[in-house]
Amino acid sequence: MLALQLAIAGVATGSIYALIALGIVLIYKCSGVVNFAQGAYAMLGAYITYFLLRLGLPSIVSVLVGMVLMALVGMVTERLILRRMLKAQIVSVMMVTLGLLIFLKAVCLAIWGPDQIAFPQIFPSGAIDFAGIFITYNYIAAFVLASALSIGFLLFYRFTSLGLMQRCAADNSRAALAIGIHVSNQVSIAWATSAALAGLGGTLLASLGGLSLGISDIGLIAFPVIVVGGLDSLAGALIAGFLLGILEAFTEGILTPNLEEFLRSVSNIQSVGALQQVIPYALLVLMLLLRPQGIFGRRGAERV
Amino acid sequence: MTLVVTDLSIHFGGVIAVADMNLEVKPREIVGLIGPNGAGKTTFINCIAGVNEPDTGTATWNGREILGLSPAELLRIGVARTFQSVVSLHDLTVLDVVKLGAAAHAHNAQGFFEQLFRSDHGRDDELCETLLKPLNLVDVAYSPIQTLSYGQRKSVDLARALASEPALLYLDEPVAGLTYQEGMNMSAVIRSVRDRFGCSVIMVEHKMDVVNATCDRITVMAHGARIFEGTPAETQQDPEVRRVYLGEA
Amino acid sequence: MTMRSFFIGLALAIAVALIGYEANRFVAYLIYSVAISAIGALSLNLVIGFCGQITFAQGALVGVGAYAGGILGNAGWGGGLSLLGAGVFGALVSMLVGLPALRLRGLYFAISTLAAQFILSYLFKILVPLTNGVSGLVVKQLSLFGRPVGNDQEYAMICVTLLFLSWAFIGRVMQTNIGRAFLVVRESELVARGMGIDVSQTKLKAFLLSGFFAGLCGGLFAFTSRLANPEAFEIGLSVDQTAMIIVGGLGSLAGSVVGAAFVTLLPEAIQRLGELLPSADLISAFREMAFGILIVLFLLLEPRGLVALARRLGARREVASSSAVRSETGVVESGVAVSVQNRREL
Repeated sequence: MLALQLAIAGVATGSIYALIALGIVLIYKCSGVVNFAQGAYAMLGAYITYFLLRLGLPSIVSVLVGMVLMALVGMVTERLILRRMLKAQIVSVMMVTLGLLIFLKAVCLAIWGPDQIAFPQIFPSGAIDFAGIFITYNYIAAFVLASALSIGFLLFYRFTSLGLMQRCAADNSRAALAIGIHVSNQVSIAWATSAALAGLGGTLLASLGGLSLGISDIGLIAFPVIVVGGLDSLAGALIAGFLLGILEAFTEGILTPNLEEFLRSVSNIQSVGALQQVIPYALLVLMLLLRPQGIFGRRGAERV
Repeated sequence: MTLVVTDLSIHFGGVIAVADMNLEVKPREIVGLIGPNGAGKTTFINCIAGVNEPDTGTATWNGREILGLSPAELLRIGVARTFQSVVSLHDLTVLDVVKLGAAAHAHNAQGFFEQLFRSDHGRDDELCETLLKPLNLVDVAYSPIQTLSYGQRKSVDLARALASEPALLYLDEPVAGLTYQEGMNMSAVIRSVRDRFGCSVIMVEHKMDVVNATCDRITVMAHGARIFEGTPAETQQDPEVRRVYLGEA
Repeated sequence: MTMRSFFIGLALAIAVALIGYEANRFVAYLIYSVAISAIGALSLNLVIGFCGQITFAQGALVGVGAYAGGILGNAGWGGGLSLLGAGVFGALVSMLVGLPALRLRGLYFAISTLAAQFILSYLFKILVPLTNGVSGLVVKQLSLFGRPVGNDQEYAMICVTLLFLSWAFIGRVMQTNIGRAFLVVRESELVARGMGIDVSQTKLKAFLLSGFFAGLCGGLFAFTSRLANPEAFEIGLSVDQTAMIIVGGLGSLAGSVVGAAFVTLLPEAIQRLGELLPSADLISAFREMAFGILIVLFLLLEPRGLVALARRLGARREVASSSAVRSETGVVESGVAVSVQNRREL
């Protein structure tokens, strides 16, 4: 039953990866930029929600207000910084998002310090017994919320008129302008949405594993997700998120102990360290070699 | 030193861009390749310049098959080309570009360490004299490309192609974007290049006055195929050519 | 590089080396820190600034050099050979990292280098028999020409000398056809191919050369800190050195050195300022905030770096013509005279 337990844990974390990756793909489709600061948005969202919870606001309110505030942060960073860099080289734009990441991490460090903080319970405590495995309500809630928002967003993108405008603006900004879509507003909306989703993702992560600056690292896990899923595919990000969450859980739970046992018997190597963090990247490399557009991406943009 | 192209065809998706095109270029000949937009002129050139791979046909230069050779390999055997649009090569000076062109020819290839330790200032003067002077580029020899006018950049591209000492030169719309006077100057330059270097030239162009002034022979393309071939005077008279261009009955 | 800039560089190098030799430990430390980072920045500028290939793997490549240099030094190889070995290993691994560039386009290749960075970082940590893992590899004292290098001042001299030699070498390479080919490939691979340039070979050469100097940077790092520690060669180092070349100026040799000085010395300066603040965490937060803001501000206001900024301020004084010139980023700069002499950067 270890496999089932791992699968459940993996699906929960995977749903959060999907949420973060969704935001990155959304921004990429709209602005052509890979947002390195997405992890920072997640971290900041978690800290803001924590702050609101400490003020005494009820869980639901804190989470929602937190998301709204993150949407504002996303919009502000887009307007203030990214908009001015429309004509800059790609290296520069990527570095700007990196600079933003560094800055936001420092702000959180200044206000809340470097240590891990226990995140207040936002979901009822307790667990259910499923086939002999204990699943906490926390995990279930995280999974349900993350998946609901991800799928909800996909539906919104696909079926609503605002979603249609988003797709037009992302697909061909000139054509969109020509038919009267306010493209720069759409871009701001995309950034705001991504930041809000990331903020929720960070909050959920904190509720599962504690609040710390390290939450921003989730931005880095997102890369294997979007490459495997396809850099311009939202559905791909969703599915790949789950896949990688499960892969990570299985690596940590099954591959690592067995591999270590094997290595200890044939060599001096005692531990394989954080293998579960590196395996996604090995998968990324494999994907780039075999099918660079990812599972769901469109062919053509990636080969020289 | 003859180019013989036989039955060359290429299609993209459902569109047949070039259909059974034939062309022969004799030594020291300047051949103009004209036709309405979409006739397949540039596509044809791309096929024999190593950019696209045609579906059928052969092209021999001095009896040697050149289809399938890369632009680098073509340059090494003396086949060079210029480009329609001239990309700004930030920070590179005119001489830099010309030297790169020169390096493309087989006998100019230098080893890495040789380049590292020998100064090539001596070559600067030589290149200026032979290539830049005829094109009026000596004054801007050390200027970055991005500070030059469009017409000057086209001249630099020509100098670059010439620096590889070609025996066969493809010019892709050499006077597009130039004024009438600049166009006529370029025409004189092209003829003098042929006279001095002894190369053959294929020139894709739209401006008829330049074509008539420069070319020995004209080939007219329409819908991917050759519809006429003759001297400039004959071309102007031919009813089929007039129909294709002017739509006369 | 003109003769003039070569001699200016030489004079500066001699001056700084002498200062480093006579100064106190702290100043000598600052000097060799900047010099080592500058070598790294030069190597990164080769591949990003001159050849236009975006890479995030710099931290790991420097690490390869550090471990290679350290292991060779510990095995008894002399200082010069160890450093050479560090460079060679850096070059080889760099070429491996660069291979995907032959098939993948810009952004995808950049992500593959990100993967390379993480995978190499991970390997540094777990290949304990080779690297001693997270405890770090202790490196024996560097010995040059049979004589052990005793103090920081001597290290300062050595590092400045190696920096000068690296700078001169790379500058010379940029004057050859290989260097020119880098620039054309950066601008447009299509045009490069049409000009007869072998794009794949050119990219690989860029990675090879860059990797050598990244390895050298790492080797010096290992010898001066007497330790090769996996944490020092993570993505943070890649970010640092990329910040150096952006702040200093992409595609500018002098810019690499200036940027390295700026990024290395800034935290020191801020540390002094921050000592007014109550806690160590706040100081380091303040330092990181300033770093982040500076990166963003620079990229917004002067994306072509300090060197371009200096040139702009200098040129304002001798405006010859006020014609508008379209610069590389597409931003029109009006009122600035563009010097029509050889603009090849130092």
